[in-house]
Amino acid sequence: MRLDAAYRLEDGVQVRRENFGLLFYDYRGPRLYFLPSENLIRDDFFQGRQVAGDLVESFHVENGLPRETIRARLSLIMEMLLSKGLVHEQPIC
Amino acid sequence: MSNRYVEMGLSAPVNLTWEVTYQCNLSCVHCLSDSGKKRPGELSTSQCREVIDVMSANKVFQFSIGGGEPFVRPDFLDLMDYAHEKGILTCISTNGTLIDDETAARLDHKLVYIQVSLDGATAESNDPIRGHGSFRRVLHALECLKKRDIEVSINTVLTRLSFPELDRLAELAVSFGAKFRVSRFRPSGRGKASWSGLNVSGDQMLAFSDWLSAHRGVSTGDSFFSVSREDRKGLGLNMCGACKLTCCVSPLGHVYPCAFLQEPEFFAGKLPGQSFSAIWNDSPVFHSFRQLEIKSCESCHRFDFCHGGCPAIGYHTQKKLGFPDPGCLANCVSVKPPAASVA
Repeated sequence: MRLDAAYRLEDGVQVRRENFGLLFYDYRGPRLYFLPSENLIRDDFFQGRQVAGDLVESFHVENGLPRETIRARLSLIMEMLLSKGLVHEQPIC
Repeated sequence: MSNRYVEMGLSAPVNLTWEVTYQCNLSCVHCLSDSGKKRPGELSTSQCREVIDVMSANKVFQFSIGGGEPFVRPDFLDLMDYAHEKGILTCISTNGTLIDDETAARLDHKLVYIQVSLDGATAESNDPIRGHGSFRRVLHALECLKKRDIEVSINTVLTRLSFPELDRLAELAVSFGAKFRVSRFRPSGRGKASWSGLNVSGDQMLAFSDWLSAHRGVSTGDSFFSVSREDRKGLGLNMCGACKLTCCVSPLGHVYPCAFLQEPEFFAGKLPGQSFSAIWNDSPVFHSFRQLEIKSCESCHRFDFCHGGCPAIGYHTQKKLGFPDPGCLANCVSVKPPAASVA
């Protein structure tokens, strides 16, 4: 995961917020993915307007967790989403 | 599929089964909704658009469209276009008889998936169930869809008449570049009257279970988790998705747990007019359905595979909710139905 990159949903993928985290729907199956991310990531993060580093920082400010802990967890999640072809990296510049 | 997260309760259905009209140009003997003539009070175009708006706002991902025959509605393709504008996938279940080249051109969209119904691999076996001339017209529809490379499956309701034709139906699907899907016959609509004559025997259900294992590419939706063997685990749901992953809106806008439980006692609300979120989250009908436990099945060795099977079949055969699905693999092995019921 790159901290200076934003992430967008792949074409044909949608996401919505649920109590456990995020629910992804991939039209290409169709297939569902349940991501137990709790409140770490909002579904609008995948509109690509915020870079991962900003998410780490804002979650740190709001919840007081160490940045490294947040970064490690977010990194695991993004690697999984990338490997499943649900999102793609979109460098801001 | 993660049962754990589904059991925690989703904010909205993943899929909405939406029967857009009762009107149908065929009169199939096993029709789940007793379709035929358009009925008073069916949703208008603007009301249908409201339903789409509501589902989009609730982030419902997919519609399973049925009826009746959806294509008899003059506004149907416009409504589908509107759903696609909102990013909603539409899986359209049709008898196929009204699909021509022009219609196929309108359906050529990445968010369209078509299910065309056939109940026999020849006119001789199909038409007595679905109507004279329907087989020939369905084949024409399949040609039109194939020309445009539209995602399509042939959908067959498993009955004692269609069971011997499964191999040939699967071959027919391949010849049109289509997938093959088998659906469960349920005793709702006109299926109530034809149930005893058409429902598969226990032996056929067992043989079908083996057939499914040998044909992993055949899909079943949520129809057959009660008879799926271990090797198909993960290929679909292993529990009823009603009120958890899906629900049904009737042509009148009435909301029910599923298409096979459109009975007054399962009425949960009406669209448009009521808050769908309130219906989904707070309706007593949906609440009690989510709590439903098929107690008599809990000691069964297959409970983790089926959780009691299809509640609708249990309801329709026993006239009460909470009874087990009589077509489960364990029952088929140990309890053969009386000969009279399968004659």
